[in-house]
Amino acid sequence: MEGPVMKHVSTGALVAALVAVSGAAHAQADKAFFSGKTVTYIVATAPGGGYDTYGRLVAEYMQKYLPGSTFVVRNMPGAGHLVGTNALYASKPDGLTIGTFNTGLIYTQLAKHSGVKFDLTKMSWIGKAATDPRAVIIATQSPIKTWADLGKMKDQQNFATSGPGGANFVETLALTAILKLPIKMLSGYNGTDDQLAMRRGEIIGSIGSRSSFEQFVNNGYGRFIGQFGGGEKDVPQMAELVKGNAEAERLVRLITAQGDIARLTAGPPEMPASHLAALRDAYKQSMEDKELQARAIKLEKPVEPLYGADVAKAVAEALNQSPEVVNLLVEGFSKGK
Amino acid sequence: MIEVMFGSLAGLLTNGHTMGLMLLAVMIGLVVGATPGIGGRLSIALAIPFIYGMDMTQGAVFLLTMHAVNGTSGQISSIMFGVPGDGDDAATTVDGYPMAKKGEAGRALGASITASGVGGIIGAVVFAVMIPVLEPVVLAFSPAEFFLLAVLGITFIAFLAGKGQIFKGIIVGLFGMMLSTVGMDPQTGTARFSGDYLFLWDGISTVTAVLAVFAIPEMIALGARGGSIAMMSSQNVTVSYRQLFQGVLEVPRHWWLVIRTSIIGACIGMIPGLGGSAAAWLCYGHAVQTSKTPERFGHGAVEGVIAPETASNAKEGGSLLPTLFFGIPGSSGMAVMMGAFLILGIQPGPAMMTSNLPLVWTLIWALVVGNLIAVTFLLFITRWVALLTFVNVSMLVPFILTLVMVGVYSSEGQWENLIVLLAIAAIGWGLQRYDWPRAPFVIGLVLGKIAEESLHKALGLWGMSFFWRPLSLVLIALICATIAYAVYANVKGKTVMPAGAGSGAGS
Repeated sequence: MEGPVMKHVSTGALVAALVAVSGAAHAQADKAFFSGKTVTYIVATAPGGGYDTYGRLVAEYMQKYLPGSTFVVRNMPGAGHLVGTNALYASKPDGLTIGTFNTGLIYTQLAKHSGVKFDLTKMSWIGKAATDPRAVIIATQSPIKTWADLGKMKDQQNFATSGPGGANFVETLALTAILKLPIKMLSGYNGTDDQLAMRRGEIIGSIGSRSSFEQFVNNGYGRFIGQFGGGEKDVPQMAELVKGNAEAERLVRLITAQGDIARLTAGPPEMPASHLAALRDAYKQSMEDKELQARAIKLEKPVEPLYGADVAKAVAEALNQSPEVVNLLVEGFSKGK
Repeated sequence: MIEVMFGSLAGLLTNGHTMGLMLLAVMIGLVVGATPGIGGRLSIALAIPFIYGMDMTQGAVFLLTMHAVNGTSGQISSIMFGVPGDGDDAATTVDGYPMAKKGEAGRALGASITASGVGGIIGAVVFAVMIPVLEPVVLAFSPAEFFLLAVLGITFIAFLAGKGQIFKGIIVGLFGMMLSTVGMDPQTGTARFSGDYLFLWDGISTVTAVLAVFAIPEMIALGARGGSIAMMSSQNVTVSYRQLFQGVLEVPRHWWLVIRTSIIGACIGMIPGLGGSAAAWLCYGHAVQTSKTPERFGHGAVEGVIAPETASNAKEGGSLLPTLFFGIPGSSGMAVMMGAFLILGIQPGPAMMTSNLPLVWTLIWALVVGNLIAVTFLLFITRWVALLTFVNVSMLVPFILTLVMVGVYSSEGQWENLIVLLAIAAIGWGLQRYDWPRAPFVIGLVLGKIAEESLHKALGLWGMSFFWRPLSLVLIALICATIAYAVYANVKGKTVMPAGAGSGAGS
């Protein structure tokens, strides 16, 4: 038993040394480093939700593809993913702490929020597991059948949001401001509060991730009138619906990016290249594992992965916004009305 | 219908594997429930990894039973040590602990265990009966009604604080409401009273606050006093099955109260967003309000134990309703449960009624059978458990304090909560020392949050006209009647409740 492991370790160390000396861009994956080590996988929400499910799935299979390692999932909920993400960013960049958090933090960082103690562009990106497009949803009993109908409404339409700083608050505020929509925003709708309020009729619509409303729509309580990205063909794309309005197009691109890079996995900045390469390898192998794919489908959480550098690129692009959009975001975080 | 109903029961009882899992779930649920701070939500979340690969029905039965019996054992520490497991159990502490001090732990436990079992079963019956009218009832409660229900709960403070204590009660209640404003303001997005501490953004943790106000002061008082919890030697009192049985009999003796509080509890559970603590406190208040001898409450009235226990267990059946048929979880525990249902391949929604009726009935029966097993088991072991109140406190206090701290940390995984625990415990100790009521604090903290949030929503939706909704008017009438009665009782000089009531400290 000891022989092969030792050999791995020494090869790994040698390779790492070589990499360090040559400064090669493409680091050799040092999987042996993880043997006998414990990797903490931070999930920035409480147990039970989508992030937790994906996080546990990813951790379980990464452990499989990093032989000898032990992955421990640690839930660090609080302040809308800020607590967990700050902790992840500040952790020791030795490859033994990685984690997952809400992509909506892109907005939070853009708005230069005081609770942000991280820079997403500097994180060590490992991959993302899903595409979870945002969508505009309208309650069934409303006469609004299409995006165009919404713009034509004479009365203010009640839209539910979680509140200033929440992803759907920022999105609704910015869309309403740019397109001059007849929308009245109401705050304090968390979790599935908005679905119940739509059933009661006090709320007409909301913006949310398509997956969280899929069942609501299937049960006949609501309909999607626009979608930001994603592969589904049954709902019109927002990019098409706002064509011609340059500012709106930019905003739609930002919201789309948010959904494209959902369920991500990342580590703190400045991780040793060989360790990051090993983590990225293991992540890719996990995503390609047939068993993981089958389980994800059973959970109705289909896997649409993207890896390492591509995720880093997508995040950087999303964070590169015009001052106009940034101003809208700052406004969305600072005041409620 | 009848065929499916009893077919499901037969299927449940004759399947050895399912019954085995259920027994296991009952045991785990009881142990988790008995540990302060670790509630049902956390236990389901921790159990999720184990249900992968389980059959749909078995997995659902396993999780549901585990969750349902949680509350049944949660009261043990409330009654015996004055240490509530969470906000729901705090109401039981108010009368349960004084009973234990009088050496009546056996009777209190007998009554409360039976009450929660019966409550759980009536909750399941309410579940079955309410299925056809679920939709109109649940949809009738909007933010306007949430606000008024919370206000109604807050007015019960008048009953929880006795003569000459009403102002103390209001001050403590307001203090609780003040603390409920700590955290992120959902309307403006500003962090209130939180400084740079991110852990405060989600507000003061209820579990931490409840343990700080009830558990720590009791432990300090016990440690200072010495002796044992029951203030008499064990020679004089025998914790016998007879005493336990007397407690059990208290439940049928108060059958009308049991039925009312079970139905109220189940209905509150049915309405997403109100939460279990609201159910327990509203029913406790209801019991005091309707009692002919309200002065006994706070000094070990057995109704004060029965009412909150039936309510908090009955709400489980209630909160399963919107979870299964709307896909909208009825409580935070059910939110986690719904995630688990999806893993098992159960698709909550109205189609459950037609496509999955056998499963629905199996779950209803699981609630009934699980509660029966839990009650039988607990009643059997209680005799020995109750003996702990005669143990010297020098052995108990360190042990319980450790459990409390572990619970506070693990409920949210944040060490900062230990500091909050110390800070609030200092205030709680002061309240206890100078004989101020403590129950209003928890009511203010729990209901203040609901009241604020729903008031904002209701005003945003309808402006001031929300007061004129029909159901609002009914609730306003109830609130006025409650206040009027409290004032009348006070003016007339009749003791609504004697001094020290609600403090849980008889000494």
